[in-house]
Amino acid sequence: MLLGASGDKAGLTVDLDVAIDPSKSGDAGVPSGEELLAFASAANRRSETLPQARAALKAVVGPEGLLEAAATVAIFNGLVRVADGTGIQLDPSMLTSTADTRATLGLDLFSGAANSEGAPTEPRQDGTGVMSMFS
Amino acid sequence: MGNDVEELITSALSAAAASLVAPGDWLTGDQRRAAAIQVLDARTNELDEQRRQAISPNAVVGGHTATGELSAEAVEVVHRVASDPGRLTRSWAEQLIAVLGEEAYTELVGVAACAMVLDTFSWALQDNEASFGSSIQGMPANERPEDVGDVGAWVSQSTGSGMANVSRSLSLVPVTNSAWVGLVQAMYSRGPGFLDLEWDRALSRPQVELVAARTTAELECFY
Repeated sequence: MLLGASGDKAGLTVDLDVAIDPSKSGDAGVPSGEELLAFASAANRRSETLPQARAALKAVVGPEGLLEAAATVAIFNGLVRVADGTGIQLDPSMLTSTADTRATLGLDLFSGAANSEGAPTEPRQDGTGVMSMFS
Repeated sequence: MGNDVEELITSALSAAAASLVAPGDWLTGDQRRAAAIQVLDARTNELDEQRRQAISPNAVVGGHTATGELSAEAVEVVHRVASDPGRLTRSWAEQLIAVLGEEAYTELVGVAACAMVLDTFSWALQDNEASFGSSIQGMPANERPEDVGDVGAWVSQSTGSGMANVSRSLSLVPVTNSAWVGLVQAMYSRGPGFLDLEWDRALSRPQVELVAARTTAELECFY
């Protein structure tokens, strides 16, 4: 959701399918996207390709960009554990706002979707409205 | 700016690392440190690997055993949260909560999450696993917040806060939550600027969200 909203704001045509599917190649419509995605997958899997992916990313976004990417991979590894370990539901407005995207990308097939079955919903919000929940 | 960001992240990581070996909400420093070490073990643990490869983790016979500091149930929580978070179920959690109590269960989830952040960051930048210092002696806080209740999750959380569910997910365990929130603020949200769709950072907002999207997809996280 925030990828799509921030991409729209930046005038990008973001390919969400490429963004979430490691079997697909490309930059997902985001500058340096190919290097960012390769690094994210390699870091998450702690694969042998991580050193090469790290060097390739650093070459295009610099050392601080690499730091931000590493921080993002790391904190979302925690966020996923917290969300899945405590069994939280998708927030009411988010449940409505992301319905089409979840269906298109197959996210409703993830086991964690069961936590939000029957959860309350609220009217769809735009990107800014959804983000305000995290403030 | 670069040094500021590095200092911000390093400071939060140091605070979280200190918290992982100090007395927590319901667990001692020894127990929290032991749980953090189990997170590292989960990466190569044979039982965890068998479960990951199985159609269902329940199809694999056997279970984790107690350690000197942690019960078998506590070890189970840490290993499953660390190794296979996308396939956790309410029934699995309820069985463990019945033994551990929801406060200790939630604290173990938080400890596992913080340890995972430290370890993943270390791997992402340097191909090294995280290390944890010596544990600090003392008594846990043993305090349950008054403003928590059922908001639809597996464990009690703050009620009526108006926050996103993920932002209050560890509110049952304030000591653990403090270190956790520090990590989230330093490594991702960074205060009111989170509301902006455009960021003045080394990576643009879409670039950060792209990395986040791929990471959550790799871990099959619905939320």
